[in-house]
Amino acid sequence: MRGGRAASVVASLLAAACEADAPAPEHRIPGAEAARGAAVIAAVGCGACHVVPGVRGARGTVGPPLTDFGRRGYIAGRLPNRPDNLVAWLLDPPAIDPETAMPRIGLGERDARDVAAYLYTLR
Amino acid sequence: MRRALAPAAALALAACDAPQSMLQGGGTAATAIADLWWVMLTGALAVVALVTGLVAYGTWHGRTESGSLRFVYLGGLALPVAALSGLLVYSAGVGRELETATEAAPLRVEVIGHQWWWEVRYPDAGPGAVLANELRVPVGRTVVLELSTADVIHSFWVPALAGKVDMTPGRTARLRLRAESAGTYRGQCAEFCGAQHARMALHVVAESPARFRDWLAGQTRPAAEPEDDLRRAGREAFLAAGCGACHTVRGTDAAGTVGPDLTHVGGRLTIGAGVLPNNIGTIQGWIADSQTIKPGNRMPAFDRLESTELRAIAAWLAGLE
Amino acid sequence: MSAEADRPSLNEVWRAPRGLAVLSEVNNTKVGVWYVLAAFGFFLAGGILALLMRLQLALPLLGVLDHQSYNQIFTMHGTTMMFLFAVPILEGIGVYVVPQMLGARDLPFPRLSAYGFWCYVLGGLLVYSSFLIGQAPDAGWFMYPPLSGSVYSPHMGSDFWLLGLTFVEISALSAAIEITVGVIKFRPPGMTFGRIPVLAWAYLTVAWMIVFAFPPLLVADILLEAERALDWPFFDATRGGDPVLWQHLFWFFGHPEVYIIFLPAAGLISTMLPTFARRPLVGHHYVVAATIATGAISFALWVHHMFAVGLPHLSMSLFSAASMAVAIPSGIQVFAWIATLWGSRPALHAPMLFILGFLFLFVAGGVTGVMVASVPFDWQVHDTHFVVAHFHYVLIGGMVFPLFAAIYYWFPHVTGRLMSEGLARWVFGLVFVGFNLTFFPLHILGLLGMPRRVYTYLPGLGLDWLNLAATVGAFVMAAGVGLLVFDAVRSARTGTPAADNPWGAGTLEWLGPTPQPPKGAASLPRVSSLYPLWMDREEIDLAESGGGYLARAVTGGRETLRTHWRSTAAAQVVALPGPSWLPLLAAIGTGAAFTGLLFKSAPPTLAGAALAALALALWAWDTDTVPVPARPEIGHGERVPSHLDTIGSHAWWGGVVAMLIDLSAYAALAGSYVYLWVVSAAWPPPALAGALPHGAIAGGAVLLAAVAAAGIIAPVALRRGGSAAAALALGVAVALATAVGAGGALTLLNSALAPTAHAYAAVVWALGVYGAAHLLVAALISALALLRLAAGSAGRGRGMVVRLAALAWAYAAATGLASLALVAAGGG
Repeated sequence: MRGGRAASVVASLLAAACEADAPAPEHRIPGAEAARGAAVIAAVGCGACHVVPGVRGARGTVGPPLTDFGRRGYIAGRLPNRPDNLVAWLLDPPAIDPETAMPRIGLGERDARDVAAYLYTLR
Repeated sequence: MRRALAPAAALALAACDAPQSMLQGGGTAATAIADLWWVMLTGALAVVALVTGLVAYGTWHGRTESGSLRFVYLGGLALPVAALSGLLVYSAGVGRELETATEAAPLRVEVIGHQWWWEVRYPDAGPGAVLANELRVPVGRTVVLELSTADVIHSFWVPALAGKVDMTPGRTARLRLRAESAGTYRGQCAEFCGAQHARMALHVVAESPARFRDWLAGQTRPAAEPEDDLRRAGREAFLAAGCGACHTVRGTDAAGTVGPDLTHVGGRLTIGAGVLPNNIGTIQGWIADSQTIKPGNRMPAFDRLESTELRAIAAWLAGLE
Repeated sequence: MSAEADRPSLNEVWRAPRGLAVLSEVNNTKVGVWYVLAAFGFFLAGGILALLMRLQLALPLLGVLDHQSYNQIFTMHGTTMMFLFAVPILEGIGVYVVPQMLGARDLPFPRLSAYGFWCYVLGGLLVYSSFLIGQAPDAGWFMYPPLSGSVYSPHMGSDFWLLGLTFVEISALSAAIEITVGVIKFRPPGMTFGRIPVLAWAYLTVAWMIVFAFPPLLVADILLEAERALDWPFFDATRGGDPVLWQHLFWFFGHPEVYIIFLPAAGLISTMLPTFARRPLVGHHYVVAATIATGAISFALWVHHMFAVGLPHLSMSLFSAASMAVAIPSGIQVFAWIATLWGSRPALHAPMLFILGFLFLFVAGGVTGVMVASVPFDWQVHDTHFVVAHFHYVLIGGMVFPLFAAIYYWFPHVTGRLMSEGLARWVFGLVFVGFNLTFFPLHILGLLGMPRRVYTYLPGLGLDWLNLAATVGAFVMAAGVGLLVFDAVRSARTGTPAADNPWGAGTLEWLGPTPQPPKGAASLPRVSSLYPLWMDREEIDLAESGGGYLARAVTGGRETLRTHWRSTAAAQVVALPGPSWLPLLAAIGTGAAFTGLLFKSAPPTLAGAALAALALALWAWDTDTVPVPARPEIGHGERVPSHLDTIGSHAWWGGVVAMLIDLSAYAALAGSYVYLWVVSAAWPPPALAGALPHGAIAGGAVLLAAVAAAGIIAPVALRRGGSAAAALALGVAVALATAVGAGGALTLLNSALAPTAHAYAAVVWALGVYGAAHLLVAALISALALLRLAAGSAGRGRGMVVRLAALAWAYAAATGLASLALVAAGGG
């Protein structure tokens, strides 16, 4: 157990040194900055509910983990995982799914696009 | 002195932004202590250099006959007695000044430590002015903090403003501080207080006297009426879920005293005592599962709430500014 | 001459038992090495805990350890390093080296050394066993209530700490008795106070510090455990207690503790450094005076751990001044070492590398020590990583570096082989670089606002890179320590055989062949200088060829020479016990009793206590019984008695030091009463005022005075009237004590003083329990004396046990009277 954790530290140290993965071609969002998206995720506190790889302390268990988000088929089990859908979802989840527990955080358009760009680097 | 060393220090200390540094000088007391530090650092470097130099040079290049008691008299007695006497007088002077500096009408603020958050009260503004994990002070005015605890020993420490003072059961300690410039200063508990000692932060917001006055007046008012259905539903769900057993929201039936007063929670900088930024999303995550976010804290996870109730409660709380 | 030839050879009497029976050995050369090995084992364990912490702190918000594990680990790291490593390993070195350095064949009470060692090992394992049930202590190594109390720490962690360490500290106290009596009474003829080696002075100073510093901690532990287990509210502010009382008691121990660790280490430096400089220590007398002064001043510093509590300004200024003043004796030592090194061009053997490393790190830690002595600066850095950096510089730089030097230095003394000089360079390089890389950044982290004892920190506070550097450094340092262990294990078997006195040292522990056989030297020397091996060659050659004192076992068993404390003339040949299982059995019994208390289970507690009592009784029965010629010849044509029951004997001194330890405990308890009285608004609380009738207090006082009189008469009766008269006096004392005990118990039980109601009642009860326990101890010693009187083994000239019983009665009565006076004065 401890050994595994120690290994994960080493792994995260290595990971921190490398560039994030490039998104799949169909997930490219023109003009969006994935790195800024990661900073937005940290600043907004998405980690309160989600595991977000690459964002320190983002280990929430309220919502689904966003691990491998770039390979997910659907967003929140409803929308095909396309950039336009993801940005729309991030801007106002209850508008798409009134039953969702995810609130409208109040992200701006640019923030949402950057966050989406970052999420697509998680593959 | 301080300025001469500043470039070297800048290299080591200010290479990255350090908002909790005791050397940034946001408050009168912190500045005086930072000056003391730079003086002592200079002396310390001189002593270390002297001893290292004597050992490195003398051991291999000295003449054995010179290795005599003179070293003990000069280096072991005369030097420390002189240096330490000077330092003692200087240091005691700084301490006395910090403890006795007075102002005609200091602002009184009560801070009560809890495992693992801070309750903040403005007794002179009436019983209503209660908030958590954040205190605001007017720039340039002396503030007297009255520090106590509801459970174990905590220690109040905002390094940019002043030194720390313990919050011990059965006692009320006092700490004077004065913010010299507007800004937000981070602090955190400095006496080990159990499971989440590491995640017990607070912020001091120093602002102009006028803004402070307005803000304090706002804090004394009860919670605003909800503006829309979502928030009205949120208030109902909050009360129905029994949140009022631990939390107070003035203007509602919620009058619990175990957890933080939430009357104006939406206006605060963070939630969970500096654990997360404060917005509807993090409030919601906190309610649903604060035990993952800050394990061991006194609030149970409310993951039995319907998703829509959860969103409504968070919307209402986030709107309580 | 034929009588001479009949006596067993020294090798025979000092030979250790073979096989598993070696565990019954009590000789200092074995027990000392065991101490060092066990303590080094705990050092490695504590080091692993440190590595885990550094892993968790490598980056912000890591999840290597959760908060619970981290809090347990930092608590156990500090606890291990202070209580299970630093103090015991220095005790071990003291037990091993000090008698050798005094030319004695052993310490005065070898079985006590062994008992202390076993209590230490078993206690350490008991504390560590808490990890097995997932309830390791987690309230920090200074265990502040109320966090450590039963409300906020309901699990057993605090109990493991409080009871386990109380058990462990038996070892420190027994070492203190040994070393005090050993240094004062077991010096060779000619070793006047002016010729006692610095290391022996350091240990003597430290022994006295233990006598006065450890008992307050034990009292604090027992009071806190009583609060946890019985709800006696000594530290509960809602019921008249005060959590700050714990802080005073803890730091009254805790600050001297730092110097208890540092002074022997400085003594090691003062011993080794002249060897490599090939000249006597410059300013020997100043260094000795500085050592003693440090010990004394260290008792006036404890409040500097409490500057943030909010105490009155004047008292803080005084403690601040004292905290700075303690730098002066340290400065004297540093400059004496510099003067000794001056122009000496020493060969850079392994110990010398660590000595040089020590000088640098200790000064670097010393200057930050002066900084934290400044009250306003301490308000900022107290409880931050700055302080963590400071005390690691002082403790690792000031104690571990000298320790490593000592390991290299005395390794051949124990094993007969040298460790690798080549690997030593790597060990030193890794440890020195790793240490600085670990701990230097912590200074800056503290200034940047990182508190200590945090299991994580946020990104964006400017703490990331410094923490990462510290973590890397910790592993570099660990690699160095690992290499040291590897080399020690390897060299013990295959290292280069060492010549006799391989470093050319001048002190007596290198007398005789290297490695030293268990008996030590062929015979004991007379000395006339501080460095006998350098300056007294004639006497040394004589001693090595068997022409000194005690070349044969004149009493037929293990023995050594006692000299007069001031004139150092040979005064007695002291018969010493050989191998015995009793110390181990007594320690097992003690351990079982503590474990039973821990789990609040009566059967193991009682069975363990009974086993310990039985072993101790057999042990006591077996003392002072060797039949010997009255005044054997000891060499140089001198004859000295082999038996004494006067106050010059080592047994009496041992009893007196034990009593001082006890008195220090009593002072802590009485001091707690006075402290609570002073800080309370109303003492006693109105509801409890007048709960104890004045008549009962006065009656108790009269009876106690009678107890004291009967006890003190006993030795006089033995001298004047023989065994029957002494037995009568002791019997009267026991009977009177029973009356006092029963009367006191009834009075307390029938009073309104419920010990759970208020700290006043609790502390009065604690004084009562203390008094009853001491009457019981005196009664048990008297029972032993009565048995020995009946058996004829405590008659005239062998009356030490009666004397000690008298001491116990006088002590119990005196402290009992003091308690009654306190209660009466406090409005009881």
